[in-house]
Amino acid sequence: MIAVLAQVAVSGILLGGVYALISIGLTLIFGVLRIVNFAHGEFLMIAMYATFWLFHLYGLDPYLSIVLVAGLLFLLGLVAQLLVVRPILNAPSSMQIFATVGLSVVLQNAALLVWKADYRSVDTFYSKAVISVGPLLVGVSRLVAFAVALAITGAIFLFLKRTYLGKAIRCVTQDRTAALLMGINTQRIYMVTFGIGTALVGIAGALLMPIYPTFPTVGSYFVLTAFVVVVLGGMGNMTGALLGGLIIGLVEAFSGFYVPALKEAIYFIVFILVLLIRPTGLFGVVGAEEVGLK
Amino acid sequence: MILKVEGVTKHFGGLYALKGVSFEVREGEIVGLIGPNGAGKTTLFNVVSGFFRPDQGTVTFAGEVVSHLKAYDVSRRGLVRTFQVVKPFGNLTVLQNVMVGAFMQTANPSKAREHALAVMDLVGLKDRQDKVARSLTIADRKRLEVARALATRPRMLLLDEVMAGLNPTELAQMLEILQRIRASGVTLLVIEHIMAAIMTVSDRILVLHHGEKISEGSPKEVARDKRVIDAYLGEEYLLA
Amino acid sequence: MSSTARTGSKVGSVGVAGWRPGVDFYVLLALTVIPILMAVSVKDKFYLHVLIMMLFYAAASSAWNIVGGFAGQLSLGHAAFFGIGAYTSTLLFVDWGVSPWIGMLIGALIATAVGAGIGYPSFRLRGPFFTLVTIAFAQVLRILATSFRDITRGSIGISVPFRPSFQNFVFREPADYAYVALAFMLMVILVSMWVERSRLGYYLAALRENEDAAQALGINTARYKLMAVVISAFLTSLAGSFYAQYIAYIEPFATFSLDFSVLLAMMSIIGGVGTVWGPVAGAFLVTPLQELLRARLGGELQGLHLVVYGTVLIVVVILLPQGIVPSIAQWRKRVFRGGSTRTLPLGKEAP
Repeated sequence: MIAVLAQVAVSGILLGGVYALISIGLTLIFGVLRIVNFAHGEFLMIAMYATFWLFHLYGLDPYLSIVLVAGLLFLLGLVAQLLVVRPILNAPSSMQIFATVGLSVVLQNAALLVWKADYRSVDTFYSKAVISVGPLLVGVSRLVAFAVALAITGAIFLFLKRTYLGKAIRCVTQDRTAALLMGINTQRIYMVTFGIGTALVGIAGALLMPIYPTFPTVGSYFVLTAFVVVVLGGMGNMTGALLGGLIIGLVEAFSGFYVPALKEAIYFIVFILVLLIRPTGLFGVVGAEEVGLK
Repeated sequence: MILKVEGVTKHFGGLYALKGVSFEVREGEIVGLIGPNGAGKTTLFNVVSGFFRPDQGTVTFAGEVVSHLKAYDVSRRGLVRTFQVVKPFGNLTVLQNVMVGAFMQTANPSKAREHALAVMDLVGLKDRQDKVARSLTIADRKRLEVARALATRPRMLLLDEVMAGLNPTELAQMLEILQRIRASGVTLLVIEHIMAAIMTVSDRILVLHHGEKISEGSPKEVARDKRVIDAYLGEEYLLA
Repeated sequence: MSSTARTGSKVGSVGVAGWRPGVDFYVLLALTVIPILMAVSVKDKFYLHVLIMMLFYAAASSAWNIVGGFAGQLSLGHAAFFGIGAYTSTLLFVDWGVSPWIGMLIGALIATAVGAGIGYPSFRLRGPFFTLVTIAFAQVLRILATSFRDITRGSIGISVPFRPSFQNFVFREPADYAYVALAFMLMVILVSMWVERSRLGYYLAALRENEDAAQALGINTARYKLMAVVISAFLTSLAGSFYAQYIAYIEPFATFSLDFSVLLAMMSIIGGVGTVWGPVAGAFLVTPLQELLRARLGGELQGLHLVVYGTVLIVVVILLPQGIVPSIAQWRKRVFRGGSTRTLPLGKEAP
């Protein structure tokens, strides 16, 4: 029994690592731009499709295409920021919501139009491979995804802490006006941050391709999970996104084990509860005003 | 005694914004509340009007303790405040703004409209009734803020720096409006920085400094009070 | 009652500039007469379907607008109320033989209770967080509807048996559905008009514009938001019951769908959120295109209409934030009356 539970826990943690990676981009964008990007899931979907097509057309292994996909998504993020996000940066939140919702609708349906609704998968030699760690079985692709996710998360932390750009980003997160007064080009920070956030999701997409199929609405599934993670961890809080991801991964794994039919419902309920009881999340303080706490 | 504030203390973390503030306001008075910047005047308004809860002390209005009530409940009892940084309903017209206030006393839109127009007349906004609030000048916004609060038919108004940013003509007009309001039976507690104005129009003055009441009395008495002069000179303020 | 010309220039303005009273009356009249004429004369089943969908979406979007527009609470979970209505009336009809007319009222009451229950604690949340809760909430209902198979038949869905009679709310003539849809739409519009002009409407506009100032004027903001949710949930649930009877088949994925919630909101925003005619205009603009594209190009160009809408939505949000209807009215005012509609460009709030 312990072995079974341990197995469940392991798959939960591995899954959680990837959730964390998806969510970090989202929380980073929120922390800096104060915008909830409802189209975040669609960027993931695009990344997955990009990975798929690179594999299908050029035989490029998903893990090798990570850099390429990340770069592509970074550029996509910049464009999206310029066209859709920038004009509404100072608009009332209702407008911001609908701009990104509109973007999400466009991207999702453009994918549907162009690539049809069929599920696409990537089948590599390691897709189904499993290694044993003691009594536990661990899927190779999941392990790689987890490891890379963790590594990237660590890299982002270092980036934010050590580099000038990273510090500038943190400044803008804390106080836009002060950052402006300190001579930080906030417009550029917004662009770069959005790009980075999207690139992170791009990496996640490439990592997920060996594990999950892609289809036009795959984004909606993951993005809702990402929102749960971000709210749980605290909007704008990187550590929170990481820990939140792991927690949600575990919650999903265990509810999948005990009550598979209601698996999704469980973490939505968690989500609702967190929002209603402790909207700042486990760690968040940034964005507390946004959530309406007085 | 329409308003009784007793021993009100409010702190934020370690910072005491108000310390043991006590005073009374008689019905029909115009009381001026002055003090250097950061004295706690707006915080006091926030506590009295129910936007903040006092950590200690009580606020009694018209014989009823209101310190624990929510802001809208306090307003409904006839104690209404305005905001230092005016908060107009930007996308509504002047008339609609004032009607929102008028609706406190009636659910009927035409009655609310009638009353709103009357109030706007008193305040001098009637000919601008269809202008969108966002497009108003600062003087008109201040007037709107007052009109809106007045439309609720309050017994007492807490006016927060309604004269700031006005030129001498507008200021004189605002003073006149205050007199008219008092004449209609409303008690006024007014925060102001413009000394000449507040000293002229008030029956009594309260002085706050670092969250404490340091002086109270007629304008003449307060102007001569050494503690008050020190407080202001310490901030390089001129007491007219 | 003299004209209260109102200017709208951001999300959720109260009223529409340039409309004189009486114009509303004529529009209402046209909206009554024209659909009736169409229902009577048009025989082509497809065009009747488009008409019915237009009326249906106008009603459903207007219902959403009471919460999303008047109260400014952007819900993307209205499919929850829709689904509650659809499932309640259908299950009561199919399993218990209760007339859908009654079942629909019961469903609406349930939806109202649920809306109040979820709405009340959620109103503390601002902006996107409130929206997220509504999304999650609708998703939970979808999952519950899928898993409690014994009651809801799960993903298989439920078919409404074809036994035409007024009592069964099943009609042989498609035109009959059009009459019902029309009556429903008119009802929702009248409710919207009433809300807008009443104290409730003013209070909702106030709390939408500035919640602190609203509270200072004695408005219990939570209570009024709740009122808006209650009305909106009731009406949206009725729309769900109508849909179930018309389409004669419901299943969790389509009925509790996020896409549907987004569509309702989208129509209101494109047309003019927070106004009475906005949602109607939005629905009338969007629906025919949608149905036409779906029918003509169904297989190959699936999703095209939504790409178009999504783009229109983005464009509207950025360039015409108040939506199409108020924009036209403002343009008219500028061109024909030379009135002052000084508006500040988007993003530059006055100090």
